[in-house]
Amino acid sequence: MNRLRSLLLPLSGLALALMASAPAAALDFGRKVNGADDLLSADQAFKLVSAIRSADGIHLNWAIEPGYYLYRQRFHVEPVVVGEGAGAAALAALKLPKGESKHDEHFGDVEIYKTQVEAVLPLARGAAAPTQLKVRWQGCAEAGVCYPPVTRVVDVIAAP
Amino acid sequence: MSTKNTLLIAAACAVAVAAGAGIYLLRPGAGAGGGAGDSPVIGAQPAAPNEAVPAGIQLTDLDGKAYTLDDFKGKLVIVNFWATWCTPCLHEIPVLSAMQTRYGAKGFQLVGPAVDDLEEVKRAAPGLKFTYPVAVGEPEDMLDLMSKLGNDQGGLPFSVVIGPDGKVLERQLGEYSEVELVALIEKHLPK
Repeated sequence: MNRLRSLLLPLSGLALALMASAPAAALDFGRKVNGADDLLSADQAFKLVSAIRSADGIHLNWAIEPGYYLYRQRFHVEPVVVGEGAGAAALAALKLPKGESKHDEHFGDVEIYKTQVEAVLPLARGAAAPTQLKVRWQGCAEAGVCYPPVTRVVDVIAAP
Repeated sequence: MSTKNTLLIAAACAVAVAAGAGIYLLRPGAGAGGGAGDSPVIGAQPAAPNEAVPAGIQLTDLDGKAYTLDDFKGKLVIVNFWATWCTPCLHEIPVLSAMQTRYGAKGFQLVGPAVDDLEEVKRAAPGLKFTYPVAVGEPEDMLDLMSKLGNDQGGLPFSVVIGPDGKVLERQLGEYSEVELVALIEKHLPK
């Protein structure tokens, strides 16, 4: 029994060390042992996870990885396929929530989003909605690297 | 210690190992093409020994004049990709310009390809007071060029350091500090 115990205790310590180190790696987006940081691609860091049409408009949701942020001022949406009467929707401004304030030495006071953001493209009551949108966004890693603007064409899905 | 206790410890260890492994595997960037081994790394990365710069890289300056990296052969060259939407790039440019002023006569040359729209570059360039040539082109072409030089995912700022012999010395994702640049340049200036 003592021998078994002597084998299990180091294993237990190893397990605890793994538990302690793995979350740190997750929160620190993959900091390597040598101190260099792995950088996610823009598509990994910022994911447009849904574009859903509901009664009040088209809701666009982004998931943002820890350590990365999107600029509020750098979202742009335009329709690709426009249904009948959806012209007004094309002109409506994208509604974005208030972001976290950030003072940028070059761009002044800006707002950014971390973790997630939902934008809404308002639709007039009864108006046909675009079935596809061309969406652009741009962001940076807090580690000091910025990504070129990303443009994607997304299908708009009706809310269930 | 009873058999029951031993089994409990063993089970706890197994759960802990599984949890640790799960968290590690689910971390951002893990998975196909995004694992730590595949991801670009922030900071300086040495090039492979004797890595040559891809041949035939053509650039165009803000006045529309064509030039190539070969024009600077025999010099220590840093090709620094930047953009007007990139705050760390704009922060780094004055430091780079100071390096060009300080070491230009000693065989050092900076080149600044912009991954940006021409009009944006033209609007911003005077205020940035470049002391070295900027290169412009379609943003997609500049991204292609950056990929050829070793940065596939497009993060900026990105620098490639080329020795006087035309071999790539290192790449840097993110800003260089002034201290890092002075050390790098003084180490590799042409003799």
